[in-house]
Amino acid sequence: MQDIAGVLVNSVISAALYATMAYGLAVIYGVMRIINLAHAGLMMLGAYATFSLFTRFGLDPFLSLLVVGPLFFLFGVVLYRLVVRRLPRSGATPSMESLLLLFGVWLVLQNFAYFIWTGDTQSILTAYTMKSVAVLGVRVGVPSLFVFAGSVLSLVFLNVVLKTTYLGKAIRAVTQNRDAALLAGVDADSISAVAFGLGTAFAGVAGGMLSTLYAFTPDFGRSFLLKAFCIIVLGGMESVTGVAAGALVLAFLENGLSAWTTLPTSFQDAVSFTLLFVTLVAFPQGLPGLFARLRTAFR
Amino acid sequence: MRRLSLAAGVSLAVFTLAAPLFLERGTLNDVWSLAFAVILASAWNILGGFAGQVSLGYSAFLGIGAYTTVLLSLKGMDPFLSLPIGAVLAAIFSVAIGLPAFRLRGPYFTIATIGVGEAVRVCASSVSFTGGSSGLRMPAGSFDFTRNYEAMAVLAILTVVVAALVKRSAFGQALAAIKQDIDAAEALGVNSTRFKLGAHALSAAIVALAGSLYAINFQYIAPGSVFDFRLSLSIVLMPIVGGVGTIAGPVLGALVFSTLQIKLLSIPALRDSYLFIYGTLLIVVMLFEPKGILGLLRRVFNRRLRRFYADA
Repeated sequence: MQDIAGVLVNSVISAALYATMAYGLAVIYGVMRIINLAHAGLMMLGAYATFSLFTRFGLDPFLSLLVVGPLFFLFGVVLYRLVVRRLPRSGATPSMESLLLLFGVWLVLQNFAYFIWTGDTQSILTAYTMKSVAVLGVRVGVPSLFVFAGSVLSLVFLNVVLKTTYLGKAIRAVTQNRDAALLAGVDADSISAVAFGLGTAFAGVAGGMLSTLYAFTPDFGRSFLLKAFCIIVLGGMESVTGVAAGALVLAFLENGLSAWTTLPTSFQDAVSFTLLFVTLVAFPQGLPGLFARLRTAFR
Repeated sequence: MRRLSLAAGVSLAVFTLAAPLFLERGTLNDVWSLAFAVILASAWNILGGFAGQVSLGYSAFLGIGAYTTVLLSLKGMDPFLSLPIGAVLAAIFSVAIGLPAFRLRGPYFTIATIGVGEAVRVCASSVSFTGGSSGLRMPAGSFDFTRNYEAMAVLAILTVVVAALVKRSAFGQALAAIKQDIDAAEALGVNSTRFKLGAHALSAAIVALAGSLYAINFQYIAPGSVFDFRLSLSIVLMPIVGGVGTIAGPVLGALVFSTLQIKLLSIPALRDSYLFIYGTLLIVVMLFEPKGILGLLRRVFNRRLRRFYADA
């Protein structure tokens, strides 16, 4: 039996990582109305890139994120220019073609990883992997703390970019109304390329951080894609606070269930999935919809 | 064109049924795989092609059929008698999944179905009555490959016929309306959820039947084989590569796929690159010919025809 502080601390830590995963998906969705199924493959590739930098050059996994991020940004831009741009543009709802196309990209990435790193399970063991420190009286693994710090830094970075730069303004403009943004002189195609790069970079960074916590194979990432999707459905696709709230709810449920029930760990991945279904049945508008309904009910 | 494809279909059906008379066992095994692929592709196409609801969770239904057959046979039932039970169970399950999932549209639905497949696989490997991740073996009994083959061949032909009938019926019209514009269909009085559920149940039942026959022929099943994500994946790829939403497309796709698979499996160097090939196929089809091989054939054929008339 673990106390409530333990669950809360662990939830906040995983929520930050989940939010990082979900933002990558949300930025791309916002600008292009595309659900990037390749997100899972990109997270897997991020994990392997970090792994290679660690084993080949002895680079600390968290320092290597500074390499992985820009590298994946470039990769995302190239992917957009070569493949994604050629799609017919999605309307208000994402097109099936884009989903299947990116699914194809995911498969190719997976095979690429099998080819280079084989199907063996890999993990990153650093000097501090097994160490832990006390936070608010709760023992927390050092890698988890670093992951938390890394996630918060990347989220702050994204928010600063979105709020203060022209680029961020343009991204938000295209998200709100692509045609109006085009009329105002925003080069929507370049903005889409940058947004795809940003989303890819976030996937890579999230994958790199995941690699310090979990073992991985080229098949890695599917359950995290589902988690990110669940968060987005829960929090609403466009709102920044919504994604954070969704990530917190999911992380709290996962940690709480594993601490207070005897649910086997193999079912842990099913939590996000069950939550997704419950959300869809009970409040399809996600948390914002639920709050709106509660507000009217208690008025 | 229509008469031509009908003739091709009938001769393919006759060939498949008569194959045991003149084909040796090894080749017959390949035709068995082809029939299996045709069933999966054509059944998926009823929901994914006709109604445009792309699901990536079909291995769940295959697994339900396979497990029902093995579990009931272990209880002493004749395996072939368990077929309808598995189909009914799969149909019920498809409705249970569909009720919440069909609230989602387009790609959102697709992602939710990835979750369905994952959840079912995880559950099947964790609970005890399925034998866990080590799987289950059929009770030792009479194994008759020719009978298994004929069952699969008949089911394949029936599936294609059912798909063709559905496409022409009012039911199929409603599905086509849902695919084109779900809001417009609703406005015209089509109860989209009910039709989607119907299509889902029908295709799930057919896939479950194929799963039962799979279990009967392989004599051994495990969550890693019947609930494999790769299986769900190829079920989707076959109709899409062949020509989604048509009758001949899934058959064509299945033909291409099972040949590819048989050829790939025989080359050790290419054995591990099937994901690359599937992925590239998907990218190429989506970018250049979303109507698949059939669409490509039609385009070439039409151009030839037009040139022919222009010359004449």
